Amino acid sequence: MQSIVSKGKSVKEAVHLGLELMEVKKNEVSIEIIQYGTKGFFGIGGKNAVVKLSKQESNTTSRQSKTNSIDYYKTMEHLVDDLPFEQSSVFEGYPIDYAIDVSQKEMTEQELEGKAWVTDGTIYVKDSETQYPIVEIGKGVQLFKNNQMVKEKKTIVSEKDALEITLEDEQQDTRWNITIDQHKLNVLLEVNPGHTITRKLQDVEPNQQIELTVDEHKETINTLTYEDIRNKMETLRITYGINQNEIRKALETNVPSSYEIATGSKAKPGVDGRIELMVEVDTKNGLIEDDAGKVDFRELKMIPTVEEGQIIAIIHPPIPGKRGTTVTNEPLPAKETHPIVLKSEIGVTVVEDNIIATTAGRPFVEQRGPFIKASVIPKLVHNGNVDISSGNIRFDGDIEIRGEVEENMIVEGGGDIIIYKSASDATITTSKSIITYGNVTGSELSAGKSNMLITELGHLLGIIQIQVEKMISFIKQLSQSPAFKSSDFSRGGLNPLIHILLEKKFNSFLPLAKKYVEVTRKGEEYLEEEDWRKVATSIQQIFLTLSNQTTSLEQLKILSRKMKELHEYSKTPIEPDSYITISNALNSSLYCSGNILIIGQGCVNTKVHSGGQLKITGSVRGGEVYGRQGAEIKESGSNSGTKTVIAVPSDQKIRIGRAFEGTVLKIGHIQHIVKENRNNITARINSEGQIVFE
Amino acid sequence: MFHFSTKEIKNALEVKLEGDLDIDGTEVVEDQLIPQLEKYRVISINFENVPFVDSSGIGLLMHLVQALQDKGIHVSIFNVKQDVQEIFDLLQLPEILGEEIFI
Repeated sequence: MQSIVSKGKSVKEAVHLGLELMEVKKNEVSIEIIQYGTKGFFGIGGKNAVVKLSKQESNTTSRQSKTNSIDYYKTMEHLVDDLPFEQSSVFEGYPIDYAIDVSQKEMTEQELEGKAWVTDGTIYVKDSETQYPIVEIGKGVQLFKNNQMVKEKKTIVSEKDALEITLEDEQQDTRWNITIDQHKLNVLLEVNPGHTITRKLQDVEPNQQIELTVDEHKETINTLTYEDIRNKMETLRITYGINQNEIRKALETNVPSSYEIATGSKAKPGVDGRIELMVEVDTKNGLIEDDAGKVDFRELKMIPTVEEGQIIAIIHPPIPGKRGTTVTNEPLPAKETHPIVLKSEIGVTVVEDNIIATTAGRPFVEQRGPFIKASVIPKLVHNGNVDISSGNIRFDGDIEIRGEVEENMIVEGGGDIIIYKSASDATITTSKSIITYGNVTGSELSAGKSNMLITELGHLLGIIQIQVEKMISFIKQLSQSPAFKSSDFSRGGLNPLIHILLEKKFNSFLPLAKKYVEVTRKGEEYLEEEDWRKVATSIQQIFLTLSNQTTSLEQLKILSRKMKELHEYSKTPIEPDSYITISNALNSSLYCSGNILIIGQGCVNTKVHSGGQLKITGSVRGGEVYGRQGAEIKESGSNSGTKTVIAVPSDQKIRIGRAFEGTVLKIGHIQHIVKENRNNITARINSEGQIVFE
Repeated sequence: MFHFSTKEIKNALEVKLEGDLDIDGTEVVEDQLIPQLEKYRVISINFENVPFVDSSGIGLLMHLVQALQDKGIHVSIFNVKQDVQEIFDLLQLPEILGEEIFI
């Protein structure tokens, strides 16, 4: 049985069309009216008439009509053109519509009305009088309606529209990059594999509202080849420490990842030469105050001693480091190791890396950087007074004086000086410590002098070195200026340029350089290391004279490096144990690179300079006292208003138990005069550069 | 090769430098240029055709300007190329010689 559902504006028209389609006469079919046509309102909501025509006949006709399908379709096209309700010839859906109808398997034409669907990647629409199908456009789908891309997420379609769908396929190439770290020790390969995404439109059942969705097929493709990597590595000159395993992994990866494809070997640092002490050499910190603030002069610590022939220390040679290699196969030098430089002085000898005492006495080992000074200091005990009959005492070791030091006498020692009685109008000098039990009157005491020199020079070099470093980077910067010719550097050296720089840009440099050279010259005899003088000579040649000697950037760099070394070196004090401890001082001058402790009644009209901490447990009346690492004083000034100055550097504090009116506090360059008597003050400088009391 | 030309306008002299002001120009400036300048009260130096300088050249220029200023001669420098001016600025030449001489 063959049947057809036909539409028309009226039942009559629908039947007529149906008969024509079936090429039969009205009496050969049975007619079933499915829906009467309605006009609707202004064309909206109008319905076609729908009829079903059924032909009762043998199958041959239908077969014939099927086999004769070409003609059939021709007729169809013709018909479609004539169909009043289907004006568009681009209506693609019709043939399938028809096929569905003819087979009767799927939905009837009536059911398809107002619906859209997708079959085999093509969209079909069937209009209805009552509503338009809505198409929702999913991700990766582009819908062109009448050759215009639909930008909205949803759109209304009708049979009249020319609909076309395009799908975006995506392709991403494999991206990769090779980087070397700054030390040339690691090579990193970053791979981001490419992919292709192919999309296929999903079939959608006819519905009033459909969504165009796609099936995505993503395929990861890593196109990176071994040759790519090898070529890149060749241009980067990577030849050492290549990790083939990692490269292989990188070629196979499907996810973005990074691989260390080459690894250099680091340099192994060596160990500097050192000495191992075999005996106690520490000098005890002199007199120690007990909890009650009292010092017992009889409680002097035992000074370590050695016997003749005793091993003081063992010298260990440096262990050299191991060279490393960069990924570009360049050697990475290990940090240089330095052997210790031993300066054996009196009382010691060196046998096969052993430092041995040749006399009995106090062992003394001093280390500053690689320089070691070892000696065994004998001790001189002077039983009487130091006066005209005994003469001045000069002894390169510890000195113990049981009596007094009288007017105009000099005591010079290389170790600790202990004076059991008083010293008047005397000069006492040592590179280590001074202890007096009696009064010090009108005398000059100086302990650890060379330390101050090194500290001062080191400080100057610190500033100078920063300036030289700036100069070097400035010269580099200038050399890169497009209009600057560095041709004369090879002939005249940097000197003309340096002179221009000193004129203005580095105009604070010259006074510092001059000062350094001058201080070095003055203290020449106290400077054990030659480097201080060498640097002074270089400074003189490069910056201070108009000599014709040419200076290269390399020379500047070497100078800068040497300065830095010396500056670092100067930070380690030569004689950290140097100190002065006395009970009272009057009209004297005390100078020490370490701490100064006055533990008796205090000092009167005395100038005190301490490179360490200054502590006065009595009073300071008149004079000027300075503590480089702070000052702690019980009482300062006097009722009579004698001028008393307490000074510390800007980063230190002054503590005074009782400050009389008129006491001058000097912190850095800032001065404060105590206006009225005050108790327990602690003064320091705040961030605004003013003296404040805590 | 470095050379210069001069143009006299009343008692002023315009000096036009040609070529790189460098160590090779030293002799030309010292032996030929300086002796000519001292009789004028106003001197302007045209740097239009000086593409490169080196430190010797700058030292020379400083020396020249300062020597003339000491004699009470008014010196000005003009038409300096931008790259060259950058070097002058880096070396703080305007501060050394006086801002007003650079026009």
